[in-house]
Amino acid sequence: MSTEITSTPSAVATDAVVVATDVSKIYGEGDSEVRALDGVSVSFPKGQLAAVMGPSGSGKSTLMHILAGLDQPTSGSVLVDGTELAGLNDQKLTLLRRDKIGFVFQFFNLLPMLTAKENIELPMKIAGTAPDPEWEATLVEATGLGTRLTHKPAELSGGQQQRVAVARALLSKPAVIFGDEPTGNLDSKTSSEVLALLRRAVDEFGQTVIMVTHDASAAAIADRTLFLRDGKIVRDAGHLSAGEILDTIKTLE
Amino acid sequence: MIGLVLRGLSTRKLRSALTAIAILLGVTMISGTLVLTDQIDRAFVQIFQQGNSKIDVVVKQKPPFKDPQTEVFLNAELVTAVRAADGVQLAEPFIQVQGYVIVDGEPMDQTGGAPSFVFSSVSEELNPYSPIEGRLPTASGEIAIAKEIATKSKAKVGQAVTLATQDGIKPVKIVGIVQYGDGTTSLGGSTTVLAPLIDVQNWWSLQGKASYIYAKAKDGVSDDQLKANVRAALPQTDVIVQTGKEDADEQASVLNDLIGKIIRYALLAFAGVAVLVGAFIIYNTFSITVAQRTREFAMLRTIGASRRQILGTVVGEAFIIGSVASIIGIGLGLVFAWGLNKLFGAIGFGLPATGLILSWQTVVVALAVGVGITVLASIFPALRATKIAPIAALREGVTLPVGRFQKLTPALAIIIAVLGAAGMVFGLVSEADTTSRLLTLAGGAILIFVAVAMLARFIVRPVVGVLSVPITKVAGGVGKLASENAARNPARTAVTAAALMIGIGLVVFVTIFVGGLRESFTGAIDNSLKSDVTVTARGFGGSLPAGVLDAVKAVPGVETASPVGGTAAQVDGQTFALIGVDLATITDVYAFDWNDGSDEAVQSLGTDKALVEDAIATTLKLATGDSFTVQAISGESATFTVAGTYTDPTILNGFVVDQAALKPLLQSNATGLNTVFVTETPDSNPDTVQAALDEALKGYPTAQVQSNAQQKEEVASSVNTILVIFYALLALSVMISLFGIVNTLVLSIFERTREIGMLRSVGTTRRQLRAMIRWEAVITSIIGGVLGVLLGIMFGWAVCKGLESEGLSFVFPTVQIVIFLVLSIVAGIVAAILPARRAAKLDVLEALQYE
Repeated sequence: MSTEITSTPSAVATDAVVVATDVSKIYGEGDSEVRALDGVSVSFPKGQLAAVMGPSGSGKSTLMHILAGLDQPTSGSVLVDGTELAGLNDQKLTLLRRDKIGFVFQFFNLLPMLTAKENIELPMKIAGTAPDPEWEATLVEATGLGTRLTHKPAELSGGQQQRVAVARALLSKPAVIFGDEPTGNLDSKTSSEVLALLRRAVDEFGQTVIMVTHDASAAAIADRTLFLRDGKIVRDAGHLSAGEILDTIKTLE
Repeated sequence: MIGLVLRGLSTRKLRSALTAIAILLGVTMISGTLVLTDQIDRAFVQIFQQGNSKIDVVVKQKPPFKDPQTEVFLNAELVTAVRAADGVQLAEPFIQVQGYVIVDGEPMDQTGGAPSFVFSSVSEELNPYSPIEGRLPTASGEIAIAKEIATKSKAKVGQAVTLATQDGIKPVKIVGIVQYGDGTTSLGGSTTVLAPLIDVQNWWSLQGKASYIYAKAKDGVSDDQLKANVRAALPQTDVIVQTGKEDADEQASVLNDLIGKIIRYALLAFAGVAVLVGAFIIYNTFSITVAQRTREFAMLRTIGASRRQILGTVVGEAFIIGSVASIIGIGLGLVFAWGLNKLFGAIGFGLPATGLILSWQTVVVALAVGVGITVLASIFPALRATKIAPIAALREGVTLPVGRFQKLTPALAIIIAVLGAAGMVFGLVSEADTTSRLLTLAGGAILIFVAVAMLARFIVRPVVGVLSVPITKVAGGVGKLASENAARNPARTAVTAAALMIGIGLVVFVTIFVGGLRESFTGAIDNSLKSDVTVTARGFGGSLPAGVLDAVKAVPGVETASPVGGTAAQVDGQTFALIGVDLATITDVYAFDWNDGSDEAVQSLGTDKALVEDAIATTLKLATGDSFTVQAISGESATFTVAGTYTDPTILNGFVVDQAALKPLLQSNATGLNTVFVTETPDSNPDTVQAALDEALKGYPTAQVQSNAQQKEEVASSVNTILVIFYALLALSVMISLFGIVNTLVLSIFERTREIGMLRSVGTTRRQLRAMIRWEAVITSIIGGVLGVLLGIMFGWAVCKGLESEGLSFVFPTVQIVIFLVLSIVAGIVAAILPARRAAKLDVLEALQYE
C-alpha cells in the first residue's frame, strides 16, 4: 500500500489542461458557514484519466463543478486549456463549455426524442459545426454502437446509453471530459464497458478525462486517484488498484 | 436547433396537439369572421353594382344629415330637367319602399332582418330586374314578383293577389315573374315586388316623389361626362348626382357599415376572448413543459447551448405550434364561415351570399394573431428556461429557479388590476365616443382577468382546503389525494382555472347585461305605460296610415287612443328623436317620470315648447327655460323652449312636442303616426277589445296590435335570441379552457408517472385512480367557475350601474349562476375523461421504473 503523496506542482506543468490554484468554495456565512472546498490546488496534465474520490460532502462534486465552469469558486483561480474561468460571463462560459469541455452524466441525459447518432452529434449541432465523419466513424466503432445508431435512448440498455453519452462528449474533441459518477447508474458488466471506452479515449485518442466516482472499480482504471475530505485533497496518488482504493477510503472515514 | 424543436414536438404529440387546439379555435373564429364578412361585403357590392349595371347616372336627395333608419325622397319633377341634359338618352324616376304581396292569405314578407321591398318598375333599359315569365308591370294594379316569392308561394302569372301597402291592402294582379340581374345573385332573405310608379306613389303617400332619378347615356357619352352634364342641368344644392358605380359603391358601403361591420366587430370580439383564453393555456402548457424539461435544458447548457439557444428552442416550439395551428385554423375558418352563413339563414337573417373568399389580409391577420399570441405566451416560460443553470444537469430533483419576475407577481398583479379598473371606469363614465369607450372597457376587463389569474394562485390552497372536506367525505382517500394534488402546484392550477374563469365570467356578464337590457324594456313598459294596448307599425321604417287612429277610436271598449309620431332630428350635430304627441291624451296613456315639470305643463306645451329626456338634456346642457333649434331630416327647422325634463331612456327617448309642432317638420310621405297607445274602458274585456282592434285594423296590414304582456314577451324572446347567440360564441372559449384542463392533467400525470405506479402497486384500483384525476379536474373547474362567476357579477354590476341612465338595471341571475356552477363541475368531469383513462392504463411496473 503506497502512502506517499505524489505532489504535482500545478503552475509548473506546462502541458496541464486544467489547473486549479487555491480554490475555495464557501456556502453560507458566519456560524452556518460551510467550506465545501478549502484552498485546493491541483492540475491535470493532458492525456490523463483522473478519478476524484471522497465520502459524501467531501467536496469532490463541488470541485468538479468548479473545474468545469458550472459553479463559481469563492476564491482562487481555475484555468481550462489556458483560459481563466474567473470573471467569464455566461456567454463566454457557454462557449468555453461548448468548445473545450465534454460531459458524461450519471443519468446519461440523452434526449429521448433523438436517435443515438443524433444524440452523439447534438453538441456539434448546437455549435453549428459539422462533425468530422472519419472521427465520428472511429468513435462509433469504439463504442460498439454501429447497429444501434438509429435507435432511441429508450431502446438502448443503460450501458449503451452511457456509451452514447461518452461518444457525444468525445465527438468535438474537447480539451477535457468531466464524468459525474459515469458508472453510478450501471451494473458491473455495463459499467466495465463504459470504463473501457473511457480508458481507450485516453490511451488511443489522447483525451483528458476527470471523473468523480464512488466506485472503486471505476477509479481503479484511472492513471491518478485524488481523495478529498472536508474540502481538501488528502491524497493524490497515481494508479491504484481497487483494493488499495478501498483501503484508502477506509482510512478517510 | 430547428430539427431539435421538431423532434421534440413529434415526441410530445398529444401535448403539442392539445396546445395547438388552444390557439387553433381562436384563429378559426378570426379567419371565419373575416371570410364571412368579406363575403357579405362583396355580396353587397355585387348586388348594388348589378342593380346599377344598366344605369349610368343616379340623382338623389341630399338629406341635411344621415340617418340610416330614414329614407329620403326627392321631387320626381326633376326628371324633366335631367331628360333635358346633354347626352341623356333616357331618364326615369324610381321609388323603393317596403311592402309585400299576400298570396292566398299568406303574407310573403320577411320575418327576419332582411327587408321586404316594393320597387317601382322602370323600363327594361334601366331595370336590374328582367322578366323570366310574363312582363314588367306597366298599368295601375299590375305587379311582378321575384322568382323567390313565386317559388315559395306557387303564385302564377295572371293570378289575382293583394299587396300590403302603407295605405292598406290593395288588390293587384301578377303580370310577371322577374329575376335580379342574371339570376345568380342571391339577395339574402329579402323579397321584392315590382309595381308601377304611380301605384307606389299613391299607396305610400309619395305623390310627386322619387327615391332616385335614373339616367342612361346616349352612345358615346361616358358616365363621367353624363354626370357632369346632369349636374349642370340641376343647380339645386340639395340633390346629389353620381355615376351608377359611385352610387352602388356608396350604398354597398352604407349597408356594410350597418350589417357587415357590426357582425365583423361583434364576432372578432368573441374571437378575441377565445384567443385570450388560448394564450393562458399556452402560457400554462409551456410553463409546465419547461419545468419538466429542466434537466434537459441544463444538459443542453452543459454541452454548450447558449441561453439564446434555449430561448430559441422554447420559442421555436411555440412558433411551430402557432404556425401549424394558424394554418389549420384558417382552413377551419372557411368551414366556420360557411356554417355561420347557414346558421344565419336558418334563424331568418339570410345574408346575401357569394363564394367563400380567403383574402390575403385574412391569412395575414390570422397568422399574425395565431403565431404572435402563441409566441408571446411562451416568452415568459422560455425566459425561465434560460435561467436554468447548467449544473442542474448534475443534480437530482432539481426544480425550476424562481424568477425575479415571479416574486414581483403580487405587486404587478395589483398594478394591473388597478389599471384595469381604471379602464373600466373610464369606459363607463367618460364622454368619449362609443368605440373608444367600449375598447377601454374591454381592455380594462382583460387586465382584470389577467390580474386575477396572476393572483389566483394565492387562493388555490385555501380554496382547496375548504373543498377537500366535502370531497374527502364523498370520495374518501382518493378525494384527499386529489385535493393534495390540486394544491401541489398552485400556480399551475390557478392558470388552468383562470382560462375557464374568463369564459364563465363573460357568460355571467352577458347574462346580467342582457337581463338588464330586458329589464330596461319590461320595466319601462310596466312603469311608464298606462295604456293597455299598443298599435305599432310592423317592420322597420314604420309609419302607420293616418286612418289607423280613427279606426282604433271607433272600436267599442276603447277609452283613449293617443297617437304618437316622430322623426329623426339634429341638435348641435347630434341626432335624436323628435316625438310628437297628442297633448290632451298623452298623460292618460303615459306616465312621465318628471325631473323638472309636471303633467299640467304638458297641456300648456303649445307648439313652441318641448319636454326633453334627462340624458339628452344633460348632453346638450339644456334646462327648463332654455331654447334650442332642431333640424328635422326633411330639412325643416324649428325652435323650442324647454318646458320640463323627464327620464325615459326607452319609450319616449327624445324631445316631446305637440303633434301640431311636429307636422311641419315631417317629410311629405310621413303620416306623423307611428304608435297609438290605447286604454280600455274599465268594464271591458281586454281579449274582446284586442280582438275587435285586430278586426278593425284588418285593412292595415302593417299595423300590429299588442297588449303590454305581448310586448314584453316579444322583447324577452328577441333578448333570448341574442343571449343564445352570445352563449354559443362564448361556448367556444369555454371549450378551449376545457382543453386547457385536459392539457394540464395530461402533463401532470406524465410527471407523476412513478407516483401513479406506486399508488397502483400499493392497491389503488384503476377506478380509484380515475376518480382521483376526475376530482382534481373538478377542483380546478370549481375554482375557475367561482372566480368567473364573481368577476362576471362584478363586471355586470359595474356596467349596469354605469349605464343606469340608459335604462339598464342590475338583476342578480340566481338561477343561471347555479346552472353555470353546475356546468363548470360537469366541464371538469368531461375534461378529466381522457387524462384519467391514460393514467389508469399505465402499466404498474413500467410506471415504477419510469425515469
